Amino acid sequence: MKALKSLLFAIFIFSAAQLHAQRGVVNMSLQYNYALPLGSFKTDVISKGSPRGFTGDILYGVSDKFSVGLGLGFQDFYEKYPRALYNTGDKEVTSAVLSNSVQIIPLLAKAEFSPLGSAAPVQPYITAGAGLGVSSFTQYLGEFGGTDNAGGLMLQGGAGIKVPFGKYSKAGFRLGANYNMVSYHHDGFSNFNNLSFQGGIYFPLK
Amino acid sequence: MLNNKLTSAALLACVVTLFSCTKEPLNNLTQEESRIYVTNADTTINFSAFKTYSISDSVVVLDNGQSYKDLQPSDQSYIDAVNKYMQERGYTKVTRSANPDIGIDVNRIYNTSTGYYSYDDYWDYYGGYWDPYYWGYGGYGYYVPTFFGIYQVTEGAMSVDMLDLKNASEKGKIEVIWNGLIRGEGIFNASIAEGSVKALFDQSTYLHSN
Repeated sequence: MKALKSLLFAIFIFSAAQLHAQRGVVNMSLQYNYALPLGSFKTDVISKGSPRGFTGDILYGVSDKFSVGLGLGFQDFYEKYPRALYNTGDKEVTSAVLSNSVQIIPLLAKAEFSPLGSAAPVQPYITAGAGLGVSSFTQYLGEFGGTDNAGGLMLQGGAGIKVPFGKYSKAGFRLGANYNMVSYHHDGFSNFNNLSFQGGIYFPLK
Repeated sequence: MLNNKLTSAALLACVVTLFSCTKEPLNNLTQEESRIYVTNADTTINFSAFKTYSISDSVVVLDNGQSYKDLQPSDQSYIDAVNKYMQERGYTKVTRSANPDIGIDVNRIYNTSTGYYSYDDYWDYYGGYWDPYYWGYGGYGYYVPTFFGIYQVTEGAMSVDMLDLKNASEKGKIEVIWNGLIRGEGIFNASIAEGSVKALFDQSTYLHSN
């Protein structure tokens, strides 16, 4: 948390010097996501990676190197565990196939910093985001279970590269990775933290 | 620069794709995987102290608050399977009049109405359809230990109950010492009865007469 605050502050200070560069460009990016559960999310809920995810960002260019805006997305995690015995009560034992399903919808305020600006043929970037992570957690023993929906703090840090389609193109490809901290405090679970790898395109809206 | 229509189409496609690619757990279960096998036991009981048992020759159907006795092919399969696994665990089947140590009831439960059927209700009505006279203990009541679970049975279940008849006179009540519950898809099919009862016994390794 402290590191993220420092990162955001550094981005803000650095970008302040760039404010007189290009302004007013609104870029949209659409990305496919593959996400890997981390920590207790991986050990206690879902161990498998999720190939079902998308993100979309709309960022306003404060300068040629610094943009701020909103990020939305969706990631669907699912795993079915083989039949096993579970202690479901004081003296109660249940044999069941356990299915866990988690959907995460991030609604984030985001900032992006590209130190080489938009003219470079390959543009590395770092991003930071903070906002709401809406989580839906469904758990079934056999066909019996239920769903819990919750919203909690979500923090995101990421890095990657942007490659314009051409020398003078304002649109291009985008590859990167995000570390997502998604809080979820319910029934002994604490988070749905994950690492997502993403690839997509970006293009100006105006 | 892409025009607004293209952007809107891209956004729409993204949203549609987003919500259509969720993997729905219930659509990824086979009938076998949909089933759960639940057992409750009084673990203070030494099951090897019991040697004989008797099992009812029909099942009680509990259908939305009404009860009646019945014997469909699937019911008989459940009764046969319980007999098989009780004898595999060393218990001897005797007639109801031969003072069995354990009484076993098999029940078929439906609930197709709104709301849910809780296991508490199930036991509240128990004496109504398995009259203690059936087991030769007229005037006695049933006793279900408080640690027994409460289930919400929303569509159907098969239930097997073991009753302590050996100590009923001493305790002045017929105590439930073990219960097995089978829920899920296809449970009223005769072909799955043996496998389901086997699952109940497999997770109850303490059930043996020696």
